[in-house]
Amino acid sequence: MSSVTAGAPAPGRTSQETMAAPARSTPRAGRRRPLTVRRVGVGIGIALLAAFIFGPLLWLMLWAFAGVWHYPSLLPQSWSLSWWRQIFHYPQLVRSVGLSFTFAPIVTLVSAVVCLPAAYALARFPVPGRRTLLVVLFASNAFPKIGLYITIAGLFYALHLMGTFFGVVLIQLLGTVVFMTWIPAASFASIPRVLEDAARDVGAGRLRVFFTVTLPLAAPGIFVAMVLAFLASFDEAQGTFLVGVPNYVTMPVQMYSLVSDYPPQAAAVFAVLLSVPSVALMLLVRKHVLGGALARGFELR
Amino acid sequence: MKTAIQRGWYFLAASPPVVLVAVFIGFPIAVTVTYTLGHLGGANSAISSIALHQVSSHGHLATFGAYSAVLTSHSFLEDLVATVWVTAASVGLVLLLAWLVALYGRLADTRVARLLTSFAVVPLFIPVVIGSYAILQFWSYGGLVKTLAHAVGLPGFPALGYTLGGVVLAEVWVSLPFAVLMIGSGLRSIPDSAFDAARDAGASVARAAWTVLLPMNLVPTIIATSFTGISILGSFTVPYLVGPTSPNLLGPDAAQTFQSFNEPQQAEVIAMVIFALAIVVAVPYLWATYRSNNDAPSAA
Repeated sequence: MSSVTAGAPAPGRTSQETMAAPARSTPRAGRRRPLTVRRVGVGIGIALLAAFIFGPLLWLMLWAFAGVWHYPSLLPQSWSLSWWRQIFHYPQLVRSVGLSFTFAPIVTLVSAVVCLPAAYALARFPVPGRRTLLVVLFASNAFPKIGLYITIAGLFYALHLMGTFFGVVLIQLLGTVVFMTWIPAASFASIPRVLEDAARDVGAGRLRVFFTVTLPLAAPGIFVAMVLAFLASFDEAQGTFLVGVPNYVTMPVQMYSLVSDYPPQAAAVFAVLLSVPSVALMLLVRKHVLGGALARGFELR
Repeated sequence: MKTAIQRGWYFLAASPPVVLVAVFIGFPIAVTVTYTLGHLGGANSAISSIALHQVSSHGHLATFGAYSAVLTSHSFLEDLVATVWVTAASVGLVLLLAWLVALYGRLADTRVARLLTSFAVVPLFIPVVIGSYAILQFWSYGGLVKTLAHAVGLPGFPALGYTLGGVVLAEVWVSLPFAVLMIGSGLRSIPDSAFDAARDAGASVARAAWTVLLPMNLVPTIIATSFTGISILGSFTVPYLVGPTSPNLLGPDAAQTFQSFNEPQQAEVIAMVIFALAIVVAVPYLWATYRSNNDAPSAA
């Protein structure tokens, strides 16, 4: 009995959190006290951080359009689009682009189907052993991937999954399970039950309440989790390399050979291409990620 | 009072991801443990049939031969030391930067402050392969940092590509977004009044942050610490691309032991060492979440 109450999410805590989250603080310090030294310091700090984050990405962008570029010149000596044309003449590169865009949506959908019902159950029902289940998911994250993949290789050989499409989906899926369960579970848990109860009181059925009240309110968290799953699949190289090569070489796997075997321009062009979907998705979910949808998922309530 | 059947249904609904993890992560980990202890048959027969330099328990319960071979090797010990200090340095830097960004975002609620938080989150959306390669190019010989140093008359400025210092920079770059989100989200849920009271009593911003905000935001900070530490300990792509050949972190060491030396058993011993370190880093996290669950107020 006691484990049931302890395992259930505390509604008081979560509703309090949703109230507190949007509360913006009042403008302070910077505007009231014109401390110029501090302001300059903050300005320098911001500039350094921006350079640290964006510098490498911009430098890579320059390489993608560089013809000849020798140290110590700040800009390329000549500009060129030749690698943008050439890269599409390598059939294996073009194929890897297609494969990445095939695997990522499939892995995202499978992950959603496997994890979302569980996320709802963990958030709303007194699941026996709820805590243990959450910790087991967490522990799966702590074992180094390379060690896992070596053993999984043995398992996949036995199951005839090596070099198969399904094998690649499976290995990429494993990297998405934890946050696809945790983040939506936290979103479901943060919805005040009174909202669902109110809908029930005016006569809505269970399914209708779920689809018209619960799901729309939890959507930001689910959306963030799905984007992260898409990116995790899109980004996965180590497991895909082990299971998929030579049949399924995705973009990040290709990137490893590009880095070592091609001039920097080729790798830079490919890197820019590989970043496009990520940046697009980032712009879509930026607001929700900054709003705390991701952070809530990791507090294991 | 829920009936046993109802509870069974709840458990069933929650089980698919756990079953997936149990079969494809839990079971392989168990198999890995037996393999490192010298059991070469059964689930390990496929991998052991192609492996070099294996240690067999010859039907006994266990042998620590593989462990002692790896743990006494000079290159492993160098990599272990490198892994520990790179992880410690990276986690320290990540926490410092994340706290500064989150604190600024919380206290100065300006457009610049929000922009800074947005900046810090960008690496979350850049594939790690790309980020690592970009950082390598940026900090290497011929990169912007070296070029600028040359332009201002510092030709002796070190190139950080292919060094452990470069690995620290890249790990910080990759890990910063998660820590900023965790710590920032925690700070936003602390009411203004707590901080203002300390300020009104005469505490400086730094002191008020240290004595009021840090204790109140301890759990998110611990979560950020543990997750960052675990991901750096087991990282592969960053040290593989940015790091030196040797000594490097244990992640690429394990991969190389398997792929280049064809010694999966020794590679798995290295993986077990990483796992052991990760468990140590995970303990504060489990303690913190357990404590915060017990502290939760019953009802508002």
